[in-house]
Amino acid sequence: MSDTLEQLRELIKEKFDIDASKIDPSASVLESGLDSLALTELLFTVEEKFGVELLEAAREVTTLGGLATLVDQLRSGARPAPPAQSNAMPMR
Amino acid sequence: MLRPGEDSVAITGLGVISPHGDEPGAMFDALMAGTSGLRRWREAAEPVVVGSVQFEPARWFTKMQMLGLDRVSQLAVAAAEMARTDAGMQEVDPFRVGVFVGCGMGGATSIEAAFRSYATTGRVPPLSIPAGMGNAPAAHIAMRSGFKGPVLSYCVACASSAVAIAEAGKSIRTGEIDIAFAGGTEAMLVPAIVRAWQALQTLATPDPEHIETSCRPFALDRSGFVLAEGAAFLVMESADHAERRGARIYADLAGSGVSCDATHLTKPDSAGQARAIRGALLSAHLQPADVGYCNAHGTATPAGDVVECDALRSVWGDDIAGLRVSSTKSMHGHLLGGAGALEAVITVLALNRGQIPPTAFCTRPDPKCAVPLVREQGEEAPRLRAAISNSFAFGGTNVVLAFQRKH
Repeated sequence: MSDTLEQLRELIKEKFDIDASKIDPSASVLESGLDSLALTELLFTVEEKFGVELLEAAREVTTLGGLATLVDQLRSGARPAPPAQSNAMPMR
Repeated sequence: MLRPGEDSVAITGLGVISPHGDEPGAMFDALMAGTSGLRRWREAAEPVVVGSVQFEPARWFTKMQMLGLDRVSQLAVAAAEMARTDAGMQEVDPFRVGVFVGCGMGGATSIEAAFRSYATTGRVPPLSIPAGMGNAPAAHIAMRSGFKGPVLSYCVACASSAVAIAEAGKSIRTGEIDIAFAGGTEAMLVPAIVRAWQALQTLATPDPEHIETSCRPFALDRSGFVLAEGAAFLVMESADHAERRGARIYADLAGSGVSCDATHLTKPDSAGQARAIRGALLSAHLQPADVGYCNAHGTATPAGDVVECDALRSVWGDDIAGLRVSSTKSMHGHLLGGAGALEAVITVLALNRGQIPPTAFCTRPDPKCAVPLVREQGEEAPRLRAAISNSFAFGGTNVVLAFQRKH
């Protein structure tokens, strides 16, 4: 298990009081107890904690494992930071 | 006066989170004894007096539920839930329940945090908007219990929650709903808001010796009001609905009156206030002499108290001797958007118990406030049948609620 994934799980536990050890890294985050508002808050906190800008790239992420990979790519410079776009949060 | 069952709206549950705690009966006892719930504000180095509340969010919400949930909504949800428990209300038809919430300043904690964050880091937490929006408290009450009738928010400054209660009463009377959760909430004791109120020069000068006595409505040495946070909710039902389920009825909302001065944003106007008082009495089928108690707006500002007393005298005329007036803001402070609801709860309990709470710390009444004041200690009033609660807002809107003891 990657260190980043473990840190994300700890963050989820601390922030939402959800036992993230039970979240399958390849399963949809939205089907693992986080709703769209919680996901938005999580992404903001991840940016703060890891010093990255997720922005549009986060739209492609649906799983915790995918988020960990994205964070690692952004931190290593393997993936350039994408331009800012609106996210996919459901809105009225 | 109203006949039993005629257009009356029964008040069957009360819930408060107040500077005097979260038990309405104990709060009322403290008020009757003239005990202040005001205290020194911990956020300032110099003496600043506020009415803060003790509240443990973890008792009510999981961490997940706390997401985007400003303190103003937390207090509202908890107070509304306590009102429901007090009403002994189990099963309801969710489509026949409405939520009516007054709030003056919205999610002030979240909004201030967003500005602070932006100023220091350039970033803003994404849930600042849903947390700070003015209708969040009503929405959270509705979602918590699944209430699916009208869920409405009223932003009318210091009259916000009095308007909410008045509108809830109208909705029940028209048959739109059977049950209303009506009240108000405010949580604005954050630095920028408190400092803004100080700059406006409307707040009481803190008494250096006894800071809890700083708010002195109707007194010669009054100097303004004390900001307070909190929430208060009433469960209101059609008389038929309340009787069908055998509910205990504290009192009835007999009527309400609303007017606007349309003269000045902040300066009070006795003619506009008197119109609201007359409107409330008219809609409740009450004569001035029927009303034994007025829970005054009584903010303790130099101008406001005199104008309110003028308005009362203009309506009561020679009958003024039969009225008792007090401002409980002397003890719980000014909850702004939550004030009308907290004072409605107090007025309802006054009727239910036959007791009138006092204006505290008014040792030297201002002769210009020439109405019969209840001061220092509460009075027994076993024959009290009807009472009004005044709420007069910045912006000029005046709201008066008329309550009647259950027959």
